[in-house]
Amino acid sequence: MSATPAEKVSVKNLRFFYGQNLALKGINLPLYDRKVTAFIGPSGCGKSTLLRVLNRMYDLYPKQRAEGEVLLDGENILGPEQDLNLLRARIGMVFQKPTPFPMSIYENIAFGIRLYENLPRSEMDDRVEAALRGAALWDEVKNKLGASGLSLSGGQQQRLCIARSVAVKPDVILFDEPCSALDPISTAKIEELIDELKAHYTIAIVTHNMQQAARVSDYTAFMYLGELIEFDETDRIFTAPKQRATQDYITGRFG
Amino acid sequence: MVDFAMQANPAQSQAADSRARALARFKLSDAVFGWVTRLSALTVLLILSGVILSLFIGAMPTIQAYGLGFLTSQSWNPPLEKFGAAPSIYGTLVTSVIAMLIAVPVGVGVAIFLTELCPPALRRPVGIAIELLAGIPSIIYGMWGFFVLNPFLQGVLGSGLSLFTAGVVLAIMVLPFISSITRDVFETVPPMLKESAYGLGCTRWEVIRSVVIPYTRVGIIGGVMLALGRALGETMAVTFVVGNANRISPNWLDPGTTISATIANQFGEAEPGLYTSSLMTLGLLLFLVTFVVLAGARLMLMRLERRAGA
Repeated sequence: MSATPAEKVSVKNLRFFYGQNLALKGINLPLYDRKVTAFIGPSGCGKSTLLRVLNRMYDLYPKQRAEGEVLLDGENILGPEQDLNLLRARIGMVFQKPTPFPMSIYENIAFGIRLYENLPRSEMDDRVEAALRGAALWDEVKNKLGASGLSLSGGQQQRLCIARSVAVKPDVILFDEPCSALDPISTAKIEELIDELKAHYTIAIVTHNMQQAARVSDYTAFMYLGELIEFDETDRIFTAPKQRATQDYITGRFG
Repeated sequence: MVDFAMQANPAQSQAADSRARALARFKLSDAVFGWVTRLSALTVLLILSGVILSLFIGAMPTIQAYGLGFLTSQSWNPPLEKFGAAPSIYGTLVTSVIAMLIAVPVGVGVAIFLTELCPPALRRPVGIAIELLAGIPSIIYGMWGFFVLNPFLQGVLGSGLSLFTAGVVLAIMVLPFISSITRDVFETVPPMLKESAYGLGCTRWEVIRSVVIPYTRVGIIGGVMLALGRALGETMAVTFVVGNANRISPNWLDPGTTISATIANQFGEAEPGLYTSSLMTLGLLLFLVTFVVLAGARLMLMRLERRAGA
C-alpha cells in the first residue's frame, strides 16, 4: 500500500459508558476514505459498541453516553446539535441478522429513498434497480419485486439490507458481523460485494472470522476489553503484529 | 478387552429390559393423559352446541310466528304480542362502532407512548393503571356513566342518555384490552429491526408507522376484534346509559337500545310464550353477530398471514 489515504472518520479519545460501565476506554482510530477497516477482538471487547457510536445508535437508549470526538469529514458528530436523521443517512448500517422491513422487496428499497427525495415513479424504479444491482441481487429478484422481503432466503435478505443502505447514498457503511447468520456461499457473496462497494464507500466491518477480516479489509483494528490494542494495515496485522496479544488472538491462542 | 465386553453384555441387556418396562408404564399414563385432554376439549364443544341448541329451541316459536320479519320489525309491544329486533340490532352495531372509533386510535396511541416514548420510570405505573382499568366491574362503569357522564354530556351536547353516551362508556371499557394487547405485540418487534429503520435516518413516527405497525398488524387486529366482541355483548354499563328506547334514530345523540340491554330490561316481566321466545331469539341473534364478527376477524387474519408469507 502506498500513500496514506484521507481520513473519512477520525475517532479521537472516545470513551463510552453503559450506565456506570466504561465500555470504551479512550479509542483513537481513523477510518480511511474508501477503504475497508475490520474490527476484530473477543466478544465484549467493544467493537460493536464502537460501530453504534459512529451512527449514534446508542442515542435510542437513555443510559448510554459517549465522550470524546468522532469527526466525520472534520465535523464532530457527537455534538448535541448534530441532526441524527441526517447523520444516519450518511452513515448506513447492516446488522448481524437480516432485517428486511415488513413490506415488498421494492418498497424495502424505495422506503429509505422516499425519506429524503420525492421522485417520480420511473426515476424511483431506476434507483431501486440500481441499488439492487449494487447489492448483486437484481437478477434474483427482478421478476418478483412485489413479493414480501421476508420471502427471500437469509443471504438474499442480507443483500436486500445492503441494497437498502446503499440506496440512500451514504458516505460510510457499517457492517456489524453481517455474515454471522449466513451459510458459506452467501458469506462469499457478501464478501465479494463488500470488495466492490469500497470503490464508492468507506466501510467498517466487525467480524469474529479472522479469515474474513484478512480477506475483505485493508486495515484491521484489534480491540480487547474496551481498548484498541493495535491498528495497522491488514497485511501487517496478520503477518507481523507488533503486540503479543494480537499475535495470540489471530493465531487462536486466546479469544 | 474381549472379557470386558462379555461381562458388560448381561448388565446392558438388563438395563434395556427395565427401560422397556418403564416405557410401557409411561405408554399407559400417556394414553390416559391423552384421553383426559381430549375429553376436556370435547366438553367445550358440548357446552357450545348445548347453548346454541337451547337458544334455538327457545327461539323456535318466534321464528315460526314472524320468520325473517322479526329482524326488520321495529315494534316491541308485549300486550299485542308484536316483537321486532331491528332497533336492538341497530343500537348494538351503532354503539360498538362508536366505541371502536374512539378506542382504537386512543388504545394504539397509548401503546405507542408506552413502548416508544414513555420515560422508563413512568412505564410500569401507567401500564398497571391500564390493566386496572380492565378489571373494573362493568356495573361501576354503568353507574359512573349514569351519574357523572350523563349529566356532563347533557350539559355539553344537550343529550345525556343516548347511543353516543353508551358508545363512549364502551370505548372506555374496551380501551385497556386494545392498549395492553397492542403494547404486548409492539414489544415483540425485534430491536434490531427498529434500529435498521432508525439507521436509515427514520424519525420515530416513520419507524412506528412503516415498521412497527405493519410488523404487528395481525396482533393489533386480534386485539381490536377481542375488544369488539366485548363491546357487542356488554350489557350492564350499556343498560344504564343507552336510554332504552325501542326505536331507530339516525341521530346518534338520541336514546336507543341494544340487544343485550333489551334482554336485561325485559326478562323479568316476560311471560312464557312469544314474549320469552322473542328474548331468546334476541339472544340467539347476539350470539350469531358475535360469532360472525370473530369468524370474520379470523378469516382476515388468515388472509393477512398468507399474504405476508407469500
